[in-house]
Amino acid sequence: MHVIYLLIPLGIALLVLSVFGFLWAVRSGQFDDLDSPGLQILLDDDRAPPPAPPDVRDA
Amino acid sequence: MDAPTRETRCFHCGTALAAGSGCSVRVDGIARPVCCAGCAAAVELILSQGLSRYYEFRAQPAPRAAGAGRDWTAFDREAALRRYTHERADGERELSMQIEGLHCAACAWLIENSLVRAAGVRQVSVNPASARAELRYDPGRTTLSQLLGAIHALGFVPLPLSFSGGPAAETSERRAALTRLGVAGLGMMQVTTYTVSLYAGLMQGIAPEIEQFLRFVSLLVATPVVLYAAQPFFRSAWRSLRAGRPGMDVPVALSIGAAYAWSVVATLRGRGAVYFDSVVMFTFFLLLGRYVEMALRHRAGLRHDALARLLPVSVLRLNGVRAERVTPDELAAGDRLRVLPGERVAADGRIASGRTEVDESLLTGESAAQPRGVGDRLVAGTLNLTGAVEMTVTRVGQDSSLAAVSRLLERAQSSRPRTADLADRVAAWFVTGVLLLAVAVGLYWLHADASRAFPTVLAVLVVTCPCALSLATPAALAAATARLARAGVLVTRGRALERLAGADCVVFDKTGTLTRGEPRIESVTVLGERLPAARCLELAAALESHSSHPLARAFAALPPGPAVSGVAAVAGSGVEGLIEGTRYRIGRLGYVLGLGTAAAAPAAEGDATSVVLGDGAGLLATFRLADALRADARATLARLGELGLRAQIASGDRPGPVQAAAQALGGIAAHAGLGAADKLSHVRALHAAGHRVVMVGDGVNDAPVLAAADVSVAIGAGTDLARVNADLVLLGEGLGGLVGAVETSRRLLRVIRENLGWALLYNLTAVPLAACGWIEPWMAVIGMSASSLLVVLNAMRLLGGRPCT
Repeated sequence: MHVIYLLIPLGIALLVLSVFGFLWAVRSGQFDDLDSPGLQILLDDDRAPPPAPPDVRDA
Repeated sequence: MDAPTRETRCFHCGTALAAGSGCSVRVDGIARPVCCAGCAAAVELILSQGLSRYYEFRAQPAPRAAGAGRDWTAFDREAALRRYTHERADGERELSMQIEGLHCAACAWLIENSLVRAAGVRQVSVNPASARAELRYDPGRTTLSQLLGAIHALGFVPLPLSFSGGPAAETSERRAALTRLGVAGLGMMQVTTYTVSLYAGLMQGIAPEIEQFLRFVSLLVATPVVLYAAQPFFRSAWRSLRAGRPGMDVPVALSIGAAYAWSVVATLRGRGAVYFDSVVMFTFFLLLGRYVEMALRHRAGLRHDALARLLPVSVLRLNGVRAERVTPDELAAGDRLRVLPGERVAADGRIASGRTEVDESLLTGESAAQPRGVGDRLVAGTLNLTGAVEMTVTRVGQDSSLAAVSRLLERAQSSRPRTADLADRVAAWFVTGVLLLAVAVGLYWLHADASRAFPTVLAVLVVTCPCALSLATPAALAAATARLARAGVLVTRGRALERLAGADCVVFDKTGTLTRGEPRIESVTVLGERLPAARCLELAAALESHSSHPLARAFAALPPGPAVSGVAAVAGSGVEGLIEGTRYRIGRLGYVLGLGTAAAAPAAEGDATSVVLGDGAGLLATFRLADALRADARATLARLGELGLRAQIASGDRPGPVQAAAQALGGIAAHAGLGAADKLSHVRALHAAGHRVVMVGDGVNDAPVLAAADVSVAIGAGTDLARVNADLVLLGEGLGGLVGAVETSRRLLRVIRENLGWALLYNLTAVPLAACGWIEPWMAVIGMSASSLLVVLNAMRLLGGRPCT
């Protein structure tokens, strides 16, 4: 049973890693918008855009 | 005034159209109807950029595109750039803005992808949840006004926000809450694992040094959870104690703090029970409940800064003889402004030269145009209709009458939440009772069996945690809100849904609520039999396409007629032009008669909504214009009647049109000619008669009335201030969402009652058991969590079921 003296600290190290991973994800805004990224993958068009997009400034 | 026989909807904005009303665009080879030139331009712009998939994935119709026509150049001025943007070290500028009309993720995608293709844009990100966009661009290659104009051309209205730097307050609040939740959740997973081993050890035997090791490890993991994640509970408990009003968080903080301290002592002494599992689980589940509640609150407060939206984005300020475009923030009393037809007035003032007609319907509810001449007052937010005038500013910003309306509104709102106050008082009693009970139980057990005293008190505190009780309502509200959002109804104040369920009376404003808010041709009467009606319509459409008068919009749906030359528009009277060699006039009777000599006056003098066409030989035709009822108004009122809600009209408009609308809707009660104050007293009188009132409106003049009603509903296509201050917003065109909202609110009330009943039942049975010492703290935590889970699952039922209509 002495193996838990190794395994539990390892588990805690993993815990610390995941807490920092989560912190990083939250701070970098990954949870700010949960709706649109799922849609982006559908919307991103496989077809090539029209050759010369008209200048938006004229619109 | 009949509804169009075959209903079609604008491809872009979803506005209901009468069959065959002209405009259409070709999308993938199929002709699609659109409602106006602005929407047609938006569709073409989107297609030409290869972004047509927007139409496949959007969840709601787009806002109606106003087309070009707003001048954004004021945002290129140095003062505006300093206020709204931030210059980075590399010379690029960044800004954030609120985007109006942004309803779904597809809209955000559309704006992002359209802007990314514009020259000079470095980075753009649009968040559909908060309707905010962050934009970074290279001022050397483009200007701010071009970018704002590009967003506007898609049909959205960008509102740059004063630059503050850093994420918005809401974003940082959500991030902090999420971090706490994550820390507590990860900690809970670990500590629960150790605790399971400890319990297994209790049953099967465990080496003492391993048991002690596991306790120390639990202490190590639980410490950050208590010290960091549970902080909000300690703070809020301390605040409420200092205020002398113990809140729900006091027993929570007490049980977390005491259980943790007890467990730490037990661990260090190597004797006695530890409760780290209970502590972290308790923290996690409480934080989860708070997070759900916060998400709901943020949804509710999404749109703010409403007052500024009624003002134009820029105004023409006169400097001696030179005119320059400035933002309204830069105005001061005494400035001289030029207000062009079609623009909104940016500040209160008096006309210095020129004469015009204005639309004050936002402030007074009067739908007919008001003539204004030199010396007359102009009020901020008023729409200038016919002539260009110069005005002298008397009051700006917080002094203006628009600001006064919004203060009136705040007052009306702040007088309302008596129920919230009651909940606070009840909580204080409840908490005091729980604490007294815990003390009594503790004293009893100290005498009976001192070793059981602490776990029993802890179990009582945890079991009585008002977790299920406090989750019962917010969870159900969140589910109902989400469901309604999918059906196109935005709930801005969750509590309003509870009141909506009990409402028995609906008061509708007329203009823009029951009706579309814009004139349509109702009938054509040919005079003198000289030309057929179709030709008269052609001529009228051709002439009116050169007029900016709001009544001219009635003719915009017709195909453009023959070419007109020599156009002359006379403000407040009509338009004159040469078509195929003949001079025609359209407009007011007197003006048209002025063209010819033969004055064959029509039998009946038309009211303000009649337009006359004539040529040199006399009158040709009279067009009766009316503000048509919304296509689904009649059906909606019938459904509301079935649900037991009596409808009536309270309008600021003249009695004639109001009575006509009431008749068309099945003879409902109607009150005409009511100003904002009259409407307010009308709603109060209904209250006094014991009715629970739902007010449906759209204008700023409605806003105080909306706030006084039990439930306020705004039409999404209406003005923005009402939108913000209403409890419910019906997105898109139409009233149909109201029926779904009433049905959902009734189901919501049932679910809330079930939830509260369950939570009470649970507490009433669990508290005596805990006080008798039959419940261990970990059982109390699991019971509390299971009870909360049950409540949340019950609330989830609201998400499914019959679709809203």
